[in-house]
Amino acid sequence: MSDIGMILDRVGRKLVTEVAPKLEGDYSGGHVIMGGVMSVMAGEAWDGAADRLVNEINGLRGLIELAGKEVAVAKSESLKLSDLKRERDELARYIVALQMSLEAREDDEAKALNAKIWAHFMATAMARMPSPPDFPDAETEPETGA
Amino acid sequence: MLEAELAEKFAAYAEARLPGARNARVDSINRIHGGASRQTYSIDLAYEDATGPKMKGLILRRDPPDSLIDTERRVEFAAIKSAFGHRDLPVPEALFLETGNAALGAPFFVMGRIEGGDPLNPFKLEDVEPHRAAIGEQFFRHLGSIAALPVEGSALSEEIDTPDANACWRRELDYWTNEIRSNSLSPQPVAEAAIRHLERNPPPPAQRLSVVHGDYRTGNYLQDGAGSMTAILDWEMAHIGDPYEDLAWATDLLWCGNDMERAAGFLPWPEAIAIWQEASGCTFDPVAFEWWSLFSHVKALGIWVTSEKAFAAGDNDDPILAWSGWFTHAAHELMLAMRLGPKYGAGG
Repeated sequence: MSDIGMILDRVGRKLVTEVAPKLEGDYSGGHVIMGGVMSVMAGEAWDGAADRLVNEINGLRGLIELAGKEVAVAKSESLKLSDLKRERDELARYIVALQMSLEAREDDEAKALNAKIWAHFMATAMARMPSPPDFPDAETEPETGA
Repeated sequence: MLEAELAEKFAAYAEARLPGARNARVDSINRIHGGASRQTYSIDLAYEDATGPKMKGLILRRDPPDSLIDTERRVEFAAIKSAFGHRDLPVPEALFLETGNAALGAPFFVMGRIEGGDPLNPFKLEDVEPHRAAIGEQFFRHLGSIAALPVEGSALSEEIDTPDANACWRRELDYWTNEIRSNSLSPQPVAEAAIRHLERNPPPPAQRLSVVHGDYRTGNYLQDGAGSMTAILDWEMAHIGDPYEDLAWATDLLWCGNDMERAAGFLPWPEAIAIWQEASGCTFDPVAFEWWSLFSHVKALGIWVTSEKAFAAGDNDDPILAWSGWFTHAAHELMLAMRLGPKYGAGG
C-alpha cells in the first residue's frame, strides 16, 4: 500500500509552491495555500493518529480506574480512527462528569486525582498540537480565521 | 452571485444612494482573502456628479451563507460609526447598510476604503521590522482610545444593550459557553474545565463600560510598511463591555508569535501597559487581566468549534474554517491546559 502520509505531504507542497503562485491575486489562491498547508499537516498527523487516540483512551480509562469507578464504554471493535474516536469521546464525556464531582470535594484524594486529570489534559493537548509546515521559499503562512 | 453580476447590481445601488450620482460603474472588484465572517470586496466605483467625474474606493462586506461568527452586520456598522472621527482612530467611514436581500442577494454594508496598507500576518510578525516599536505604540494607543470612546449616545449603544459593570464577564462567558456547547462536534473537557474555573474565580467589576472591538489583534488592522497603522478593521464582534476583554484578546499568544517577552509581540509589557493606561484612562489590574486572558482562550475555542461545525456541515467550505477548527483550536486548548493545569497541581 502507498504511503498516505508521504502522498499528502508531497501534494500539499506542490499546491503551495507551484500552484498557488500561479493564482496570485485570485481569491482561490488563498484556498490553495490553505489546502496545501493542511495537506502537509494531515500527512504528518496521519502517521500518529491511531497512536494518539489509543494513548488518550488508555489515559482516560486509567483515570477512571484510579477514581474507583466503572464505566460502561465498550472497547473499540477495530483500530479504525472513527471507532477509536467514538470510544475516546464517550470516555471524555465521562471524565468531564468525574472532574466536576472532584471539584466539589475538598479532600486531598480528590485534589490529587484532579491534578492527574489536568496532567492528562496537558499531555493530550501537547500531542494534538500540529506543527505548522515550513515552506522556506513561499509566502505560505495561513491567516487566522476570525 | 458572479462578480460581474454583483458589480452591476452594486453600481446601480450606489448610484441611487450617492447624492447627484449618475453613470455609475464598477471599474474593478476584487474579493479580499481572509476573514470568513463576511464576504469582503474591494471596489473602485466610477461615477459622475455635478462637479464632474469621480472615482471612489469602497469596501463591500456581504453576509456569506455561513460565517465564523453569527453577528448582525448592523452592529458592526454601528461600531464603525461609533469610532469614526474619534481620537485619531484610523477607522473607515461607514456609508450604507442594507439588512435585506433585495439589493445584492444578502445583507451587506459599505465602507469607504482606506488607501495604503496591508494586514500583518500574526504568524509572520517579524515582517513588521524595522517598525515593531512604532506599530506597537500605535497598537496599544488605539486600543486604549477605543476603550475611552464615549458609549452613551453612540450608534453602538442604540443597537445593543449596555450591561452592568458587574455583569460584563458573566454575559460574555455565558455567550461563549453556549457557543461551545451548541457547536462542538466532540466533547471539550479542557474548555469545560476552564469555564468552571472562570465561574469559580470571577474578575472584579469593569472599571468602566467601553466600546469593545471584540477582535482587536494583529491580522485585523492595516499597516503601511513604514511604521503607521492605517486602518482598524473587522468590528463584527463589537459590543459594550469591559475594556480588559480587548486588552486580553489583543495580547493573546496566538496573535503574538508566542512572544512571551513583548506584549502582542511588539513592546515590553510595562511600556505597552503604560500606553494603554494613558489612552484608556483605566488602571491596570493583574487580577482582572488574568481572568480576561484565560477567557480569551475560551472565547477563541468558541469561534474555532463554530467554524469547524460550519465547515463539516458544508455550510461554508472556505478552508480557513477547517484550519481554525484544527490548528488554532489545538493551540488554544494547549494554552488553556498549560496555564490551568499547574493551578490544580499538575505539571509540577
